[in-house]
Amino acid sequence: MNRNISPTEQIFPADLLSKGHEELRDIPDDKLVTAYESMRDNEFAADHTYPNLRRLYGTSLEREKDRREIRQWAENCDAEMQEWYEKARNEPCTWWLQNHLVAKHALKSCIACGVCTSQCPAAQYYPEYNPRTIVDAVLSKSEDRLVELLKSDVLWYCGQCGSCKPLCPLENNLMGLISSLRFLAQLKGYHLHSVRGRQQYAMRHLCGGNLWNRACTLYFRNITAEGHPDFGPRYAKYQSEAEGQMVRLGANPDRPGHFGGRKFSPQTLAEFRSCLASGGTLVLWNQLEEYASEDARKSGVSIDEYHDRVHREG
Amino acid sequence: MATSMIAPETIKEIPENDFFLTPSCILGAVNPGAEVLIGRIYDLLGLRWKAAGDRAESQCTCCTGFSSHGDLISIESTLLVTARLWSVAAEIGVENITTACVTSFAIHNECMEMYQHEPGLHERVDRWLQRACGRRLQIPKHVVHASDIMYRNREALAEKLRYRLVDHNTGRPLRIVDHVGCHYAKVFPEKSIGGSESCDVLAGLIRAWGGETVDYPERRHCCGMGFRQCAIRPNRGYSMACVLKKLESMEPWKPDAILTNCPGCNLILDKEQWAILQMTGVEYNIPTLSYTELAGLLLGWDPYEVVGIQGHTVPIEPLLDKLGIPYDKSKEWLTKENLEVT
Repeated sequence: MNRNISPTEQIFPADLLSKGHEELRDIPDDKLVTAYESMRDNEFAADHTYPNLRRLYGTSLEREKDRREIRQWAENCDAEMQEWYEKARNEPCTWWLQNHLVAKHALKSCIACGVCTSQCPAAQYYPEYNPRTIVDAVLSKSEDRLVELLKSDVLWYCGQCGSCKPLCPLENNLMGLISSLRFLAQLKGYHLHSVRGRQQYAMRHLCGGNLWNRACTLYFRNITAEGHPDFGPRYAKYQSEAEGQMVRLGANPDRPGHFGGRKFSPQTLAEFRSCLASGGTLVLWNQLEEYASEDARKSGVSIDEYHDRVHREG
Repeated sequence: MATSMIAPETIKEIPENDFFLTPSCILGAVNPGAEVLIGRIYDLLGLRWKAAGDRAESQCTCCTGFSSHGDLISIESTLLVTARLWSVAAEIGVENITTACVTSFAIHNECMEMYQHEPGLHERVDRWLQRACGRRLQIPKHVVHASDIMYRNREALAEKLRYRLVDHNTGRPLRIVDHVGCHYAKVFPEKSIGGSESCDVLAGLIRAWGGETVDYPERRHCCGMGFRQCAIRPNRGYSMACVLKKLESMEPWKPDAILTNCPGCNLILDKEQWAILQMTGVEYNIPTLSYTELAGLLLGWDPYEVVGIQGHTVPIEPLLDKLGIPYDKSKEWLTKENLEVT
């Protein structure tokens, strides 16, 4: 790797791993991406594994590389949906409800029977949550009410289980509607007004980082015992030897294969990324970066500190 | 409940053979044995299946489901990613998608439905897909969950079992609570076996394999995985509350195990029992396992080497004791330090 970089310019990838966002600032975009990829695709020939994957995931380096790489992809992308979401960001919320592919089919009308709320696990857990209030705000077509909803914590309480869906006499799709509204809240930056909404920046680099770099939503090393004290000591024991256990059971941690933990080829990853970009997702991811950067600046913290804070906040 | 007792509108066509298996992000990460077992059981049944061509490297990526319900992915990106997966399946000549994950099951079905309801969408996605990665949109013939295939073959599997779901000392049928994943039965109830209220996909397995199913008030309540709810630490109280609600509701029936077909449920219903013990002091300790893990154990496959029960927080060994399945506890861990965990 590093074929286009002269020895004097060469970035030694391992040196970057311990650096934070500020320390990575002066490294040019292309060198940062190349250094990351050279580590990612460096195969350990003896057992055909990719041992650097474990070192790269969840690092400041990966997040900073993603910021720059995705910005470049988005700038160079002229996909129809990229332009659509750029436009949608500046349209009224009511426009979104009439035009977004999910939102426009999700809610026909409501007879206020309350069956959605009666079956909703989130409504049973969060006393202030009631899916009907979301339905009411949407049906009101009031821009002010919609903006208020998009700025609220309430929008983020739904667990997306779909318990409401089979019972609605009008066959409304509230889980789809709520997810669509959450997407809009983030596009417009309204999510910053709520603690639960701000957590999306952590989701962006957790699930989004996995998707962008490993073509999976959940990487097996994400579920650390430290991050999951609710899972107990037996899980901690299992996680400490997860890679060996996965190999034993026929899975493919950090190596080619068809099952859990598999490493994708650069070609498959490129196809997957093109699908994400062509569908307009990178508009959202770029906006999340811009909003987070601004919010961190206002708070007087670095973007790395901000990322860690929204993971714990709530 | 015999299949004939299921509401006619909820009986769906389950293909007989030739499957493209899409793995699950959660199952592969947390209960890897449960996922690998899908292929092992397909092989045992003599079914033809592929995970993605003959290449050593998989082309079968995430469907985006977790991130889609985590509100990070545009619906058009999800349509493109699933269309790409369908294209990979078509390329290798397989037109039946079987998902290891129930959210993938719902995502694939949601995409299928959108093409029927949104005029011009098929042409647009086909055009975008060609431009994105040079592939063409080809709608698969069937999208089913791997548990559907087990259901279809439950009697054939029953004939191959070395153990049955009965207490080997007393002959008592074991009481098994089924917990069907919400995204299997609730998002598109007409595409599940039995619908959302009387889903039979797991209950049918339990009966066929000699056990007794348990109905209880919160049988259909969500496990609380909730995507962003379990992924972000301050939100996990929601997951714990959902699990507690279910455990309190099922406890009077003294279930011997909880059976799942959803990777997220298999994770949350098992792992959060430890948190609930810390919070309430109540030790439910109800073994929780997936339909493939249960099948693997009843088939007599090694609990640690093949099934992977060591990945569970609530020990499965008490269930093995009831079933009369032998196990060698020394094979549980790969490393020998810190073995005093319970």
